[in-house]
Amino acid sequence: MVGAAEEAELSRLESQVENGGGNIWEYLCLVKKLKVRCSEKVLRHGMALLNDAKGRSKLGGEVWTLYEQVSVAAMDCGHLEIAKQIHKRKVAIAKAQGNLSGAVDLLNKYLEIFMADYDAWRELADLYISLQMYKQAAFCFEELILAQPSNPFFHLSYAEVLYTLGGLENFKLAKKYYAVAIDLSSGRNTRALYGVCLCGAAINQITKGRSKDEKEGSELHSLAAASLVKNYKQRSPDKAPLVISVLEQMKAFSS
Amino acid sequence: MGESRYVISQTAYVKLVLHALKHKASAVNGILVGRLKQSPASEDNNSINTEGVEIIDVIPLSHAQLGLLPTLEIAITQGEEYFASKGDRLSVVGYYHANERYEDLELSSLAKKIGDHITRYCPQAAILLLYTRDASKVWRQAGSSGSLGVGLVFKEPTANTVLWDYITEGREQDVVDFDDHLDDISKDWLNSNLFN
Repeated sequence: MVGAAEEAELSRLESQVENGGGNIWEYLCLVKKLKVRCSEKVLRHGMALLNDAKGRSKLGGEVWTLYEQVSVAAMDCGHLEIAKQIHKRKVAIAKAQGNLSGAVDLLNKYLEIFMADYDAWRELADLYISLQMYKQAAFCFEELILAQPSNPFFHLSYAEVLYTLGGLENFKLAKKYYAVAIDLSSGRNTRALYGVCLCGAAINQITKGRSKDEKEGSELHSLAAASLVKNYKQRSPDKAPLVISVLEQMKAFSS
Repeated sequence: MGESRYVISQTAYVKLVLHALKHKASAVNGILVGRLKQSPASEDNNSINTEGVEIIDVIPLSHAQLGLLPTLEIAITQGEEYFASKGDRLSVVGYYHANERYEDLELSSLAKKIGDHITRYCPQAAILLLYTRDASKVWRQAGSSGSLGVGLVFKEPTANTVLWDYITEGREQDVVDFDDHLDDISKDWLNSNLFN
């Protein structure tokens, strides 16, 4: 319930702001304090303040509160695009300040609302990778694969994260995703071809001395290697001998 | 263990700075290639004393998703193989890393992990952290165990002049790293024509 004195103050500030007389921040703070719902005005004046570099820097740390207030108002008005932009700006600022875990939190909050923003999922995955939080990065790529199953890039990145996590199960799974990436890119993706060979070598290392039936899939390994060699001979012939030698060391060719 | 000296050649230095300059908005990393300088065998023949490390060349690695292993492993394997075959006792001797934001001077845990991975190949490996605000400044960090006194010197005093010339020409656009190579294998990660 808004008391009479406060209501007067609010009207005063409101007309000042509406007439271009400044004091936007005081107005917005009072609106917030009194929990008045006038989102259209908040949005309009809040955005004006946000777009004014001098005004923004005067706020210092309070600018985050302003962002929050304006984005809520934007959503209330149904201006989802503006709310999105504000959230993205917050994330970009956090990243520029080197606050990676802060950026991660902000992105997670953003994705709770706008879960179909695939660029945001990709950015979150990249942040997790730089923080070495590979399981979380893997989850992001799982979402991206579900959303765009025919995009080889996501299968490839997922495989790379799995490989980095390591362990027999992850190597086996990574190999499968590398194989899908090869398929989706018609056998032209160099990283995927190398990836299959790397996984094969890693799996063989772990399963050395185990029973023969665990050593499956070496055919894929040799096919990938052969394909790589063929590509190098065509497009980068001076590197071909080096690649052959390295692949041989990875026991990529069937004996 | 006495002081370890790291000498960096003009080729290596210019290449790695150009690599960092090409990708101003992201972190970059790469492998240092060179040889260990050993002092003559001492009386107690148990230890080989390494007098220092000569960094002769670099292989630029990545400018995106630095935290993933596959590119690193392929590059180290091919790089080691290539330089070993030149018969000059060349091998992987370290790792360089340039952070995304120029005021970030910390050696991130990611860089440390990759450095650890590389010390498996070379116990004396060093990590070079590039402080990119002022291209002529290079930070050195002791990457291997222990608190060695570490010094880094240029092999050729003309290194910075040459670097400046290349920057004014915009040569950094021609640098190829392993990421670029994997996207298009006709691109040469050895950068053989960079200094022509």
